[in-house]
Parts: sequence; C-alpha cells; structure tokens
Amino acid sequence: MKRSLRLIAVLAAMALIVAACGSDDDSDDGAAVDVGEEITVYMQMGGNQGDPSTLARTNGAKAAAEALNVKLIEQYSGWDPQVMVEQFKEAVAANPDGIVIMGHPGEDAFASLVEDAEADGIVITSGNNPLPNLAAQFQADGFGYAGADLYAGGYLTGQAMVASGLQAGDKAVVYDIWHNESRSVSSQGVFDALEAAGLVVEKLDVSDEVDSEASLAIPILTGYLEANPDTKAIGTQHGNVTANLPGVLEAAGKAPGDVIVGGIDLSPATIEGIEEGYISVSFDQVLYLQGFLPVLQVALTSRYLIPGLNINTGVGTVTPDNISEIAPLIEDGIR
Amino acid sequence: MGRRTTFARLAKIEGLPIAAVLATMYLVFMITAPNVFTGHRIYMSFLQTIPPMLVLGLGLTFVITAGEIDLSFSAVVAFSGFMYAWSYRTFDEPWIGFVLALAAGALVGYINGVLVAKIGVPSIMATLAAQFFWSGLTVLLAGGASWNIKGIQDEFIHTLFVGRIFGSIPAQAVWALALTVFCWFLLNRHRFGEEVMFVGDNPNVARVMGINVERTKIKLFVLNGVLAGFAAVLLTTEMNTFWTTQGEGYLLPVMAAVFIGGSSIAGGEGFVVGTFFGAYIIGSLEAGVVATGIGGYWTELVSGLVMGASVVLNIVIGDGRLAAASRRVRHWMVPERDDGG
Repeated sequence: MKRSLRLIAVLAAMALIVAACGSDDDSDDGAAVDVGEEITVYMQMGGNQGDPSTLARTNGAKAAAEALNVKLIEQYSGWDPQVMVEQFKEAVAANPDGIVIMGHPGEDAFASLVEDAEADGIVITSGNNPLPNLAAQFQADGFGYAGADLYAGGYLTGQAMVASGLQAGDKAVVYDIWHNESRSVSSQGVFDALEAAGLVVEKLDVSDEVDSEASLAIPILTGYLEANPDTKAIGTQHGNVTANLPGVLEAAGKAPGDVIVGGIDLSPATIEGIEEGYISVSFDQVLYLQGFLPVLQVALTSRYLIPGLNINTGVGTVTPDNISEIAPLIEDGIR
Repeated sequence: MGRRTTFARLAKIEGLPIAAVLATMYLVFMITAPNVFTGHRIYMSFLQTIPPMLVLGLGLTFVITAGEIDLSFSAVVAFSGFMYAWSYRTFDEPWIGFVLALAAGALVGYINGVLVAKIGVPSIMATLAAQFFWSGLTVLLAGGASWNIKGIQDEFIHTLFVGRIFGSIPAQAVWALALTVFCWFLLNRHRFGEEVMFVGDNPNVARVMGINVERTKIKLFVLNGVLAGFAAVLLTTEMNTFWTTQGEGYLLPVMAAVFIGGSSIAGGEGFVVGTFFGAYIIGSLEAGVVATGIGGYWTELVSGLVMGASVVLNIVIGDGRLAAASRRVRHWMVPERDDGG
C-alpha cells in the first residue's frame, strides 16, 4: 500500500513535468521543451564509467537530464566511500542546484556536510544506498532516495535461490565485500534468507583486487568449491563477480544447475549465464531508474518545491524464465 | 674463497629461489587443503586466469630493468580489448581485431616511449597520464558499454589462444610460457636485452658505450604495449566479454609479481624467470588461502604475509645469505680444520 502511494506520488510528479512540457507543444519550432531554466546537478554514479553496475544508472541519469534541461556532471568513485565524500565536497564547492549522493559513506560521514550544503540552498538527494536519518531531516527540502532496499533485495534473491531447489541443511557460501559493511548490506540479506531456510551458510570476502578485476575470482572460487565439494549454492551481490560465476562453475567442472547461483545486476555476461542456466537468479535493482529518478527529484524540488520521494527500485529478480523478454532492453543499457 | 656450497651455486640459478618459494607454497597448500591442491582443477584454473597477468609482467620486467616504470598497461588491456571486441562485432573477423589490439598496444607504448625518452617526462608521470587517457578514451569509444562476443567461441582464434589442449589445459598457459622463453632469450641472449640492462644500470655509461638510449627506451615501451595488447586478447577471448574496466585490477598484482620475481626497482637487473614464478605466486595465493579454510577477514592479511615472506626468502636465498648462514652454523657445530700454514 505504502509502495503504491509512493508510485502514485512519482507518477503525479511526472505528470506535472509532462504538463509543464505540454505548455510548449504549441510552439512553432517544436525543438526544445521548456521545463524551466537549466539547472546543474552533480551526481555520484557509484562505480567506474561503463562498468556493469554503473552503466544503466548513467544512461538513466543522462536521459533525465536531457528531458528536464539539466546540466549533468557525472562523478565516478569506483565505489570508494572516501572518494564519494571528497566528490561531494567538490560538488558543493561548485555551488550547483542539486547533488545526488550515494549513501555508502554513511550518515556520520555525510551529516555535517549535507547540513552545510542544505543551508546553502543546494538540493541534496540520495541513491543506491539509503541514508534514512538525513532523508527524514531534509525530506521537505527534497532529500529523497531512489534505490533498492538493499537488504530486502538481497533477501529476495536468497529466497529465490531457495525456491530454485535448495533445502535445509544444504551448504552455501555468500561471496562479497564483507570487509566494507556499506557494500555488503544486500549480501547480508542473501545470507539471512539462506540461513532462515535452514542452510549452512559461510561468508567469503571479496578482496580489493577481485573487486577491480572480477576474473581473478575464478581460481579463488574454484579452490573454494574444490575444498567444499558439498557446496550447493553461491550467493553474491557484486555485479562483476556475478558476471564471472559461469566461468567459475565451468572451471570447477560444474554443469548448469549443479550449484544454485544468486547474483545481482544484468551485464551481458550475466545474461548469458542466466540463459545457459549457470545463474539461477539475479536481483534486478533497475539501475536505469536509479539514474533517472534522482535527477527528476532535483528538478522537481528546484522548480516545484516537491519534497523528497522515497522510491524502492528493487522489487524483482531475473531468472531463466523471464530473461528472454528483458535481454533486448539490457543490450540497450536500459535495464 | 672459492668454497661455495652446492646450495649457493643452485641459488644463483635464475628463478630457482622464487621457484622454490612457489613449490613450498604449493606444498603447504597441499598439506592444508589436500582435496584441492592434489587435484588438477585448481591448477587448470590458475593456468586459465594467470597467463594475462604473466604476459603483462613480462613486458613490465623489461621496463623495470631499464630503470623505468609503466602504469598504463592496465589501460592498454581495456583499450586493446575494446579494439579487439569492436572489430569482431563490426567485421565479424577476429584476426583484424587481433592485429588492431596489438597495434593499439604498440601505439600506446610508442607514445609513452617518446614522452619518456625524447621529451624527458618521468615515466611514472607519463604513464600515469596515459593510464587515465587511454582508459577514458576506451569508455568514450565504447559508450560505456560492455559487450558480449560469445560468437568468438566458434572461431579458430578461440581454439588457438584459449582452447583446451587435451580437453583440459588452457592454451593461453602455453602461449604465456612460450612468451616467457622468448622474453628470456631477448633479455639475456640478445643485443636488445643487453642494451636494456645497460640503460637501466647507468644511461650515461650506456650512451658512452654507443647505445642509443632513447631508441632503446622507445622500443621497450612498444614491446610492453604489444604484450599488454596480447594479454587483452587472451583475457577478452577467454571471458567472451569486453568491459571497459577490464585490466584495472591487474595493476598492483602484476607489479608485485615482477618485484617478487627479483627484478630491481633501481633498474639494471631483471629476471624473466622470476617474473614467471612471481605471477604464479601472486595468482595462486588468495585461492590457496581461501581453500585452506582461513575465511572471513583473514584472507588479505595472510596473503600479505605470504607475499612478504616470499620476497624476503627470495632475497635471502638469491643473495646467498642463507647459504652463508648455514655455513656459519655448520662451522659452529663442527669447527673446520685449519689447513693453513
């Protein structure tokens, strides 16, 4: 019900924009849509330019910027929380109309910085990783959230893995960046869902090298599977590791379906893995919307003083059953 | 004088100390994770994933031997990988892509070489800038997209470079081994390698000896670029996927492999065989630690410890200090007869 209300709120806001655009439809040139003066938005995209967990977000943000007369300044941090904070400071120094931040550095790191920026009249909103206290404090000023409820998304993935054929007592491993709490929220959801189903679950940490070059995960997981041949499931919420899991299973001599794999995001290699049956389920957090909606939020607040909207973009999974419908959209960088 | 033990003589054989470190490491893993390291699969996965790192390390060994550094090779992996994947998607012909990938690496290397040798930009700065530039260009040209090129699995180039020999041995391991042999001869038995060592030892003396230092530096950066281009081909073909950030995670492991292998950061001394074993140590370490069951947050700590121990052991054995120590111990236990007089 709450979700539906939020959706209605977003649709209403979008309608407002469309109405504003409509006023210009009668113009003779029909070229630029008048949605107001150009505004400048700095946006943290998360990873690196073009990586599978970032591309669709960038595309969504660009599409919104083009539609809403927004000058978009993209910031890439390689998922480094410290870099995110530094980029936020740089963005504030440029005094833009709005800044979209990632929640990974946490509320303590951002609190005073956000307060100062809000005091300067900059609209701040967040994506991908929530900052609930700051959102509550500055919601009236446009501080919203567009992203998955990461823990719930992970839990959903874990439940879908169980539904793919796991049983109580089966052994599973969840491979993720456990040494960085802010980047393992989703995987904690996977872990808890598997444990709640009665599985014996182990945590395995993704090193910084694997985080950057996920193909290095192949021998590590091959070794793990050899050491633990009774492993029935692998969970991860690392997009690039997910893309490499079919290679891992091949190297370990596993056939599709021998090990239930639950991952995240939809890179081309992940799609192939789902199509071949190596990946049983991938959590789809609809990254395109995580790019589009924060830019929309800043535009709505700047122009129409609309408060921050809290939108959960992660409510679905992609499986071998629905991959064929979604694959063409992924190829276009939309899903 | 002249009473060198067999051990000391063995320690002087290039790469033997670091090979001993690798063998010891595998032995320890065989004891701590017997069901993994006594089977073939883990080794096959090493042979699958380590070759691109090794090929990159071979090129970097030449650069470091010459007293320079190259931080751009990981960007070449992305740029050459892009050229390879793009041309395959465009022309449906992998060999054009192969040539373009190597040419792209050579181009990056040539520009690096000119910046360093002709203009005098410190190599760390020139190649750092190159790293950003070529990575950025790759993202720009690819539109940020990752591409699946799974059709390449049906091409001969796939069988040739990353096929499975006798159904299990990854072909890229053989290519990397062949390149190691080639590079060893190039560095140790060819005039070019001699020039590289002289340049690394002292460029002024090298110049006096008639070596064209600038040309030598340009050549070695080009060689490094071409090898990085080849590593990109191996990686992209093996993964059947190009992504714009590929190669990024190789920067530190490859440098670690070269330095663990004994090449001197001060230049003038480079060990291709050392790099070979160093790459296998670095590439196997984390998998081995994980397989032993040391989970959680211990993996990196233990990996760092083993890496550090490898370097120390290599230096100690390589310098003959271990042999000297063992002689000293033997002397204390059984005093040598004084034959003098």
